[in-house]
Amino acid sequence: MGDYHSHGGGRGHGCCPPMDLMRSEPMQLVQIIIPIESAHLTISYLGDLGLLQFKDIKRCGEMARKLRFFREQMTKAGISPSAMSLTQTHINLDDLEIKLGELEAELIEVNTNSEKLQRTYNELLEYRLILQKAGEFFYSAQSSATAQQREIEAQQVFDGSLDSPLLLEQESLADPSKQVKLGFVSGLVPKEKSMAFERILFRATRGNMYLKQVAVDDPVTDPVSGEKVAKNVFVVFYSGERTKTKILKICEAFGANRYPFTEDVGKQMQMIDEVSGKISELKTTIDVGLIHRDNILKNIGYQFEQWNHLHYVSIDRFYDFLNFTKAQIFQVRREKSIYHTLNMLSLDVTKKCVVAEGWSPVFATSQVQDALKQATYDSNSQVGSIFQVLHTKESPPTYFRTNKFTSAFQEIVDAYGVAKYQEANPGVYTIVTFPFLFAVMFGDWGHGICMLLATMYFIFREKKLSSQKLGDITEMTFGGRYVILMMAIFSIYTGLIYNEFFSVPFELFGKSAYACRDPSCSDATSVGLIKVRSTYPFGVDPKWHGTRSELPFLNSLKMKMSILLGVAQMNLGIVLSYFNANFFKNNLNIWYQFVPQLIFLNSLFGYLSLLIIVKWSIGSKADLYHVMIYMFLSPTDDLGENQLFPGQKTLQLVLLFLALISVPWMLFPKPILLKKQHQERQQGQSYTLLRSTEESLELEQDHSSQGHEEFEFSEIFVHQLIHTIEFVLGAVSNTASYLRLWALSLAHAELSSVFYEKVLLLAWGFNNIIILIVGFIVFVFATVGVLLVMETLSAFLHALRLHWVEFQNKFYEGDGYKFLPFSFALLGEDED
Amino acid sequence: MGFLLTTLIFFLVGVVAALSVCLCCNGGPSTNLFHFTLVVTAVVCCWMMWAIVYLAQLKPLIVPILSEGE
Repeated sequence: MGDYHSHGGGRGHGCCPPMDLMRSEPMQLVQIIIPIESAHLTISYLGDLGLLQFKDIKRCGEMARKLRFFREQMTKAGISPSAMSLTQTHINLDDLEIKLGELEAELIEVNTNSEKLQRTYNELLEYRLILQKAGEFFYSAQSSATAQQREIEAQQVFDGSLDSPLLLEQESLADPSKQVKLGFVSGLVPKEKSMAFERILFRATRGNMYLKQVAVDDPVTDPVSGEKVAKNVFVVFYSGERTKTKILKICEAFGANRYPFTEDVGKQMQMIDEVSGKISELKTTIDVGLIHRDNILKNIGYQFEQWNHLHYVSIDRFYDFLNFTKAQIFQVRREKSIYHTLNMLSLDVTKKCVVAEGWSPVFATSQVQDALKQATYDSNSQVGSIFQVLHTKESPPTYFRTNKFTSAFQEIVDAYGVAKYQEANPGVYTIVTFPFLFAVMFGDWGHGICMLLATMYFIFREKKLSSQKLGDITEMTFGGRYVILMMAIFSIYTGLIYNEFFSVPFELFGKSAYACRDPSCSDATSVGLIKVRSTYPFGVDPKWHGTRSELPFLNSLKMKMSILLGVAQMNLGIVLSYFNANFFKNNLNIWYQFVPQLIFLNSLFGYLSLLIIVKWSIGSKADLYHVMIYMFLSPTDDLGENQLFPGQKTLQLVLLFLALISVPWMLFPKPILLKKQHQERQQGQSYTLLRSTEESLELEQDHSSQGHEEFEFSEIFVHQLIHTIEFVLGAVSNTASYLRLWALSLAHAELSSVFYEKVLLLAWGFNNIIILIVGFIVFVFATVGVLLVMETLSAFLHALRLHWVEFQNKFYEGDGYKFLPFSFALLGEDED
Repeated sequence: MGFLLTTLIFFLVGVVAALSVCLCCNGGPSTNLFHFTLVVTAVVCCWMMWAIVYLAQLKPLIVPILSEGE
């Protein structure tokens, strides 16, 4: 049955023309270079045409960035933008752009200068600290050294002649030329790192160094980061060039700033003086700079809100103002949107033309070109606009050319997700299957006629209503008037099948098949009627209504019907996945996804459908639950009385085998083959034949998306695993989900029969005109309120779910984005 | 009226509907194909619904048992 569905779509390829609405329109990225004098008119004509979606190239974005930068700077400096001045000076957007640019450049320059100065200032501060602290080391070290020297000298005098070997030692001590020359490095290291610093230095020099550290009392501003950090002043003494380079490296690694230092005390004093002088000098310079910056920022702050406002809504305000004087709302909106669009375009380097980029359907190419020519002509421009198609790897927007009938159905699909570019559109089938599944749950031709009348009102007054402002709910109903029309028509049909008119059956299509067994009709309430004629030709036999066996019969019928319809629709979904794979030339998806999926679903639930039909046709009493369950539990057992046809056991074994095979078939080959393909591509061995332009574009997109990405086998495998599990479990749960058709149609039938019997017939029974009128009013309100409004909503939602989940998850990706052309016709919808 | 006869009627109705839609709203091959698909889908849905209900009553396992009141 599902295959039957596929005929319509199957002709969309190869032998037949492409089907409307099945695939989104082919799109192209176009670039238009417009001379500045005709820009306004061109945009206006393109807006009339409404087939071009402009891409925001820059400008406004750039200005917004500048304004953000100003705001950041102001908050940093603690200046708040002053309240908006209410002067109504209209600033031209172009002037504003230039002004913003100038201010930004100035501010950046001031900032970099002051940063540089600040850094030097901090460095000098640190240097002064070093000079002071290290000076102290040297002073104390020198004094102790001289004391030691004296001691040694004294000792020398004391026992000089006694010990000759000591002379050697003494010589080495005393002779400066033979002494190892000690170097030193001084600087500042952050306090928290000082321990590690010492340890690393010790290890790296193998102890051949001497480190002296003193903590600085107050935290010091680090010149690099600009933050306040507690630091230690250090002096490292070392010997040898190699050690020096090592130490310097370590200093760098620890972020220790080094400063030159002299041993000479006199020079030290001189340097301290020098540095202090420089510090005070810098301080004044920095202060002046800061004042300058604050002035700029204050200036900006004064106008900031105005600009900000202007940037976003200036044109709105300007034209809102005009609004009152001209009272030509549409014209105003038109102008406004033209300016908004112009803001999105970028100026050419020569500033003589604007460059526009945008998406446009391929079929609109000549229309766009005509509009460009017309604009050039009408604006008396010397130069025409240049129209060219760009090649891009970006995915184009999705555009379905819908009409007033199909648009509401397309919106049902889009509410779930906009189709990927050129993906098979479930909307084509939704136009029929959605109202049909709704009607399966809403089968009552009385209610169907009520709905038809209501929607006819909307359709006949379409012209008048579409120009009017409607309430939210009315607006929604009006928008979906053709959906409701289809729902009503199908409800009338299914109502005739269910034989219910406000729950009352009619013998419209001939005589009932059932009659009493004998003229006395004595056992009609115990054994029941007997089938005396051929089956009632159309729909449910009217005799069933009100009988004791009505509910068991309808339950069995509707439950089986739900499964049959569900399996058919799911098969349609899988077939659509074939169309997608075929269209995108994805053979892997055909052989390792579509085929096993089709086999899996049909070997289980297709078989169940077959059993249902066979059971009905031969009137067997076989228990289908038992058959299905034991097909898995003990497939080799004899079916016994549950056998419906010869060879059933063999068929079951084959189907079970196929179902079991198709799971690994879905799971393993695709990721493995993808990996193989990837490897081949990597080695540059796979050359494919050139195809026609359209297909090769697709292919290119495919290739580029796969080629540039890193191939993650595990990721692809996990993805396939999830997909497989989802499908296998989904096959069961989705089939079960279709049982909602049964539940809702049962609820609808029962409710309407309750209202009819317990309200209308009860009131009738009193033989009192007033009670009858009251009863009738109650019946009408209950029917309209509960059955026509609430039941419609619930059946609508359930049909929606069946389409979004059970149907669309078989093939639909829905990760595209909608084509939103710049169009004056759409302006009215956006505003207010 | 048997199962096959009614099925044939459904088929004929489908053909007539498809043809009349193609003739009435001729909008180029792709639009015609779209309309054809809609008609075919609708007819198939309606036929399925009818066939299911018809088959279910063909060889009834349970028969209507009238309520006591009647």
